[in-house]
Amino acid sequence: MEHFVGTINYIIFFAVTAGTYGILALGLNIQWGNTGLFNIGIAGFYALGAYTSALICGLPPSAWEGRTFGGFQLPFIFGLLGAAIVCGVVALLIGAPTLRLRADYLAIATIGIAETIRLVLNNESWLTNGVWGFQQIPSPLYKTIHGATSTYLHAHPNLPIWLHDLITKSYDWFYLALVLVVLFILYLIMERLVRSPWGRVIRAIREDEDATAMLGKNTFSYKMQALVLGAMIMGIGGSMYAHYARFISPVSFKPLYGTFIIWVMLILGGSGNNKGAILGSFTVWGIWAGTDFLTKYLPFSATQSASLRVILIAVLLEVILLWRPQGLLPPKKHLFTLK
Amino acid sequence: MSLLTVEKVTSGYGDMEVLHDVSIEVKPQEIVTIIGPNGAGKSTLMKTIFGLLKPILGQIQFADHEITSLSPDRIVRLGMAYVPQVENVFPSLTVRENLEMGAFIRNDDFSDRISEMFELFPVLGRRGRQQVGKMSGGERQMVAMARALMLNPQLILLDEPSAALAPNLAEVIFERITAVNETGVAILIVEQNAKQSLSLSDRGYVLAGGRNRFAETGENLLANEEIGQLYLGG
Amino acid sequence: MTTLAHIPQLLVYGVISGSIISLGGIGVSLTYSILGFSNFAHGDFMALGAYIALGLFTLFTGLGIPSAPFGPLSFGFGFILAFILAIGLTALAVIIIDRLLFRQLRRSGPIILMMSSIGVALGLRNILQFFWSPQPHYYSQAIQPAVSVTALNIRIKPDQVFIILVAIVLVVLVHAFMRYTKMGKAMRAMADNATLAQVTGINTDRVIIWTWAIGAGLAATAGILAGIENKFITPELGWQMLLSIFAGVVLGGIGNPYGAILGGMVIGISEEVSTAFISTGYKPAVAFVIMIIMLLVKPTGLLGRKD
Repeated sequence: MEHFVGTINYIIFFAVTAGTYGILALGLNIQWGNTGLFNIGIAGFYALGAYTSALICGLPPSAWEGRTFGGFQLPFIFGLLGAAIVCGVVALLIGAPTLRLRADYLAIATIGIAETIRLVLNNESWLTNGVWGFQQIPSPLYKTIHGATSTYLHAHPNLPIWLHDLITKSYDWFYLALVLVVLFILYLIMERLVRSPWGRVIRAIREDEDATAMLGKNTFSYKMQALVLGAMIMGIGGSMYAHYARFISPVSFKPLYGTFIIWVMLILGGSGNNKGAILGSFTVWGIWAGTDFLTKYLPFSATQSASLRVILIAVLLEVILLWRPQGLLPPKKHLFTLK
Repeated sequence: MSLLTVEKVTSGYGDMEVLHDVSIEVKPQEIVTIIGPNGAGKSTLMKTIFGLLKPILGQIQFADHEITSLSPDRIVRLGMAYVPQVENVFPSLTVRENLEMGAFIRNDDFSDRISEMFELFPVLGRRGRQQVGKMSGGERQMVAMARALMLNPQLILLDEPSAALAPNLAEVIFERITAVNETGVAILIVEQNAKQSLSLSDRGYVLAGGRNRFAETGENLLANEEIGQLYLGG
Repeated sequence: MTTLAHIPQLLVYGVISGSIISLGGIGVSLTYSILGFSNFAHGDFMALGAYIALGLFTLFTGLGIPSAPFGPLSFGFGFILAFILAIGLTALAVIIIDRLLFRQLRRSGPIILMMSSIGVALGLRNILQFFWSPQPHYYSQAIQPAVSVTALNIRIKPDQVFIILVAIVLVVLVHAFMRYTKMGKAMRAMADNATLAQVTGINTDRVIIWTWAIGAGLAATAGILAGIENKFITPELGWQMLLSIFAGVVLGGIGNPYGAILGGMVIGISEEVSTAFISTGYKPAVAFVIMIIMLLVKPTGLLGRKD
């Protein structure tokens, strides 16, 4: 039965993480999949969202922390919105000098902003507590649900052990539901947006920006809107992560986990397809987690196994680019006219 | 005997067909002009002949070789050269370097050929070390032609050589084209406003809506009233 | 006022790191102008070169090839031999990567190539990590005394003089190659107009191979020089410099190798001088801010042409 509980724990952890990646991939899909904006600084927005939410909802600095700011203990929803807004503003600042130029410039600038955010997280201890990061970030409704669960378990002492264990995990079930609800709501919004006239314009930009501009569309403004919207969604992803992990530090947002794997998820799932973004997130995270088990049977050290898994993901990316660039679920052929 | 034969070629970009069933022919040492309105598919035909576009249907032969869908660098080796309408020089290279690039596949000493080009285009001879990007439109056109002639081709394709040139400069260019032809090179020209070009051509074709309309000697085309009204501006 | 007194010394550090950034930037610039995409694996080509040199050097030491240091330098014959071979092997490895991946993807357009280069970057970095671990490795653990140049108020190590000289020699060689050889001219021609190059009969595939060979050779050199300067190498060595390299390339004018040299030097010097005023940790951010300012003022860069 212990094995069973372990498996349940793992499934919840797996699904919460994959769901969070799904949110990030939806954000990337609006930028890259629909508008063709090459953002390789996702990790920066992801981290920014997580830290902003932690500052807004977290505890005030304790005596032993290097931090002297933040911890406003506001409800979770403020953290979520704050994360989205801060990421949106940063995206605006990055888009302004680069979105009129070739795609390469945005790519370089997004690497730059991600690196700069990482440096700020590491160096500005007064704000971020440096390499130690944030601890004890409150999870929404934790006390309420935990309290109710304890009361229920006290009242029913004779439950079978497996049921008891499942109920003990009630908060994690709740959080999983929360992530999936947020993911689903964002999915619905994205689907509506993509089908709207606005969505037709951004897809037209992706196909042929010059032609779209010649039809009188201010492509710079549309690209900016898509960049900002995508970044805001990434901020929400960061917030969801922070309140689940309850502990964040700069190492949580390395470019590998924060950027690269999300790109592979979207490309595998199908750039331009929101269902594809979500499918890709669960698939790639499944591969990533699965290889964790497999490499345990290989005669390599833990760091070597980790490297091997990254090499595998890199090979997976190249294989998709070479042989199935449209991904598992290609974008639907939209017949559209621009007015 | 013909040097270049284009037989019932259909071609275009992706799914979009621009040329339908076009046939033309160039004999050795001839000047042939293809005229037609904007959008008639003249440049598409040039690109298709030179292997930059793959024909959907039809065949192209050059100097006893089947060249349908050969790549441009293979076609160059067979003795054909191409001067695109725009961006037909390497602007950051000097005149001499542009000519050297024209002879890239030659591994022997080709300084004689460069001298010959400087004789054919005396304007260039005086400015061998100048960066081409800083030269005038007419001079660039000459650099482009000289570059294309470096490998002693049997046929050279000129895409609107006088486009965007002042009338007096266009005249100079056509005079040079005749001079090039006199060295034994066949020339296929496409032109939009083509009185000048037709007057020095052995034969001409009219291309409209992606199809062959007329094939005649240059003089007859010029004399034809209908063509005059439709394609030569009255 | 102590910070101002440090500035001559910081300028020296800036020229050293600028030399390394410039060598990296030339390759990025060539790939951009000739192949038409931003190669994000370039930093990892640097790390690959640094580790191939380490591997060969270890091998040579084992074989008993003499490695007593040359004069005041911290390395000798064995290391120089490893250095030179590593340049060639890195070029070879990169050409193989091109044949396997980039060549197949060329028709898919620049963004797919960029994406692929990111995959190559992570793949290479983790291959190095797999074999050598993420921990630092050392070319030499000996401590080299710096020489004081009192008149200029600076101190400089013989190894650092070597780094600057190597960079100067290579920049001159690259310039001569691009200016006077047939292949160099063809590279410039292809950067001007790849379609016209093909139409002209230039063997564009061979030009591409040369582009990779030169870019990767210079990357390997930059990686090894960075190892000499830092005293150690890690698999992340190139990735950590990539932002500075790209900032230099953009600053000088993307696609212009001379711009990459100038831009790299400006970035290197700015990063080092900035440490007199702000935390050392922000060096890459300084490069980033300079790049953004350049994009706002003149996106074509210091030496860039208009598109």
